[in-house]
Amino acid sequence: MSASPAIGSFEGFSDVKLVGRQVRYEQLSFWLNPVGAVFTVGFSVVFLILLGATAGNTRISFYGNIRLVQYYVPGFAAYGVMAACFNILAITLVNRREMGLLKRLRLSPLPTWALLSAIVLSSMVIATVEVVILLAVGRLGFSVHFPDNVGAFVVAIVVGMLCFSALGVAMSTLVPNQGAAGPVVSIIFFVLLFLSGLWFPIKPGSGLARFSSYFPVHHLISAVFAPFDTQKGASPWAWHDLLVVAIWGVVGAIVAVRRWKWSPRRG
Amino acid sequence: MAAISVRNLAKNYGDKRAVADVSFDVSQGEVFALLGPNGAGKTTIIEILEGFRDRSAGEVETLGVDPANRQTQRWLRTRIGVVLQELAVEPFYSVRQVLTRNAGFFPSPRPVDEVIALVGLTEKADARVRTLSGGQQRRLDVGLGIVGNPELLFLDEPTTGLDPSGRRDSWELIRKLASEGTTVLLTTHYMDEVEALADRVAVLNDSQIVASGTPASLGGRDSGVVTIRFALPQGISASDLPVPILGESDGLVEIQTEDELPVLHALSGWALDRNLRLPGLSVARVTLEDVYLKLTRDPR
Repeated sequence: MSASPAIGSFEGFSDVKLVGRQVRYEQLSFWLNPVGAVFTVGFSVVFLILLGATAGNTRISFYGNIRLVQYYVPGFAAYGVMAACFNILAITLVNRREMGLLKRLRLSPLPTWALLSAIVLSSMVIATVEVVILLAVGRLGFSVHFPDNVGAFVVAIVVGMLCFSALGVAMSTLVPNQGAAGPVVSIIFFVLLFLSGLWFPIKPGSGLARFSSYFPVHHLISAVFAPFDTQKGASPWAWHDLLVVAIWGVVGAIVAVRRWKWSPRRG
Repeated sequence: MAAISVRNLAKNYGDKRAVADVSFDVSQGEVFALLGPNGAGKTTIIEILEGFRDRSAGEVETLGVDPANRQTQRWLRTRIGVVLQELAVEPFYSVRQVLTRNAGFFPSPRPVDEVIALVGLTEKADARVRTLSGGQQRRLDVGLGIVGNPELLFLDEPTTGLDPSGRRDSWELIRKLASEGTTVLLTTHYMDEVEALADRVAVLNDSQIVASGTPASLGGRDSGVVTIRFALPQGISASDLPVPILGESDGLVEIQTEDELPVLHALSGWALDRNLRLPGLSVARVTLEDVYLKLTRDPR
């Protein structure tokens, strides 16, 4: 034997570089797929423009009489986070697992933790791109001001990314095959979005508000909305909402770890 | 040192037995084939040797280490190459991009352009994976298996789905790797593949090894019965022949013997004396396929 086989799993700085390199390849893979890239990023921008244009100067009476479009921009920023970290991540992982791509990488020397962190980091990069574009469209197209409390905004976005990534990985373990991935994940995602006030604000205290309060989608939208300081006297830190999102994230992480599979589930 | 050593290996999925009491060794530089029908346990054995799956019982060493040992797994994976049964390549990268990415996982990879040339994809180096034909994707798959410059290469049905010329090209490549000293463990359904490539073969049936040896000697093929077949010349009946026949099938008479030279001598002398032809004359030892079918069909 030419070298000692006694090598642990972490090799210091070279491993960090390995993750960076893998993130670059993940990004390449995402942006080289025109359907995925245009649909994901383009979808939220087009929707924001359409809804913003339709809303005109409509105001929301039960939200301090703010302009509806001022509500849409943070809502769609939250949507961008969830689309990249939950929807795309879950579908991508199911496809890779069922195609045998995960198994193949598992059998390469790339450590598991490096592969998974690169995949999650790459989703966070996509989400960041979406959030920046949406804020820019809101500012330039609809004169929506940037968040007043940038710290609270960034925290809400990052917590959302981490928790929805965990939920995305968990979701991927629940979908049995490639054919089901797109429909199953998207239906769950869009129904929750619809019931959680992305397209129209939910009146506090209503039955729908109670229903959506059990799920993380509505809470993330609220947490991203709070730092825009539209409610006089309200805190920009939506701690309660962030806590609910975090609890869902932890549950997602537990399911993800317990149910994770490298090889295809079919057969 | 053996590249692979397997002793009394067993694997159960629940109460279903996948591998039972399997033992074999593969020497360094050897091409070793696991031959057997679907569900015989070939892939399970390979996955245990790669460290992808844990075993239920037995002792296993791959390149001198236990593949299930998490401490040495990463080391092991820099020294093995794997080609899976199913095609598994990301569709949106170019051939060069995906090979370059995987080369970066290994401490001393084979140069990417060399790999591209070896698998015959030079003209497709910058094409997207999804635009490649099935055979080209399969070759890229093999390229991904060897880009790390492995000492030991696992090939799980490497030519399934390839056209005949693609198979020949793959065989050529496997022979070249073997001649450079790479140890190869391959699984296959194809007898001709075993005869063309393997130094030694183990036949698996129903979770167990039922025979092993060189392809030429498997199941006693190198000694044993020879079958001589031909069509009877016009006007001649079987009783006119100088040697006893076993029977007739498909219009051909069949003679079986363990010592074919005297029989052929008697037959050909007899025919030449009478100016007769023996249409369709063939002389065959038991084929590997005959042995294989016997081994995998007989109830034990």
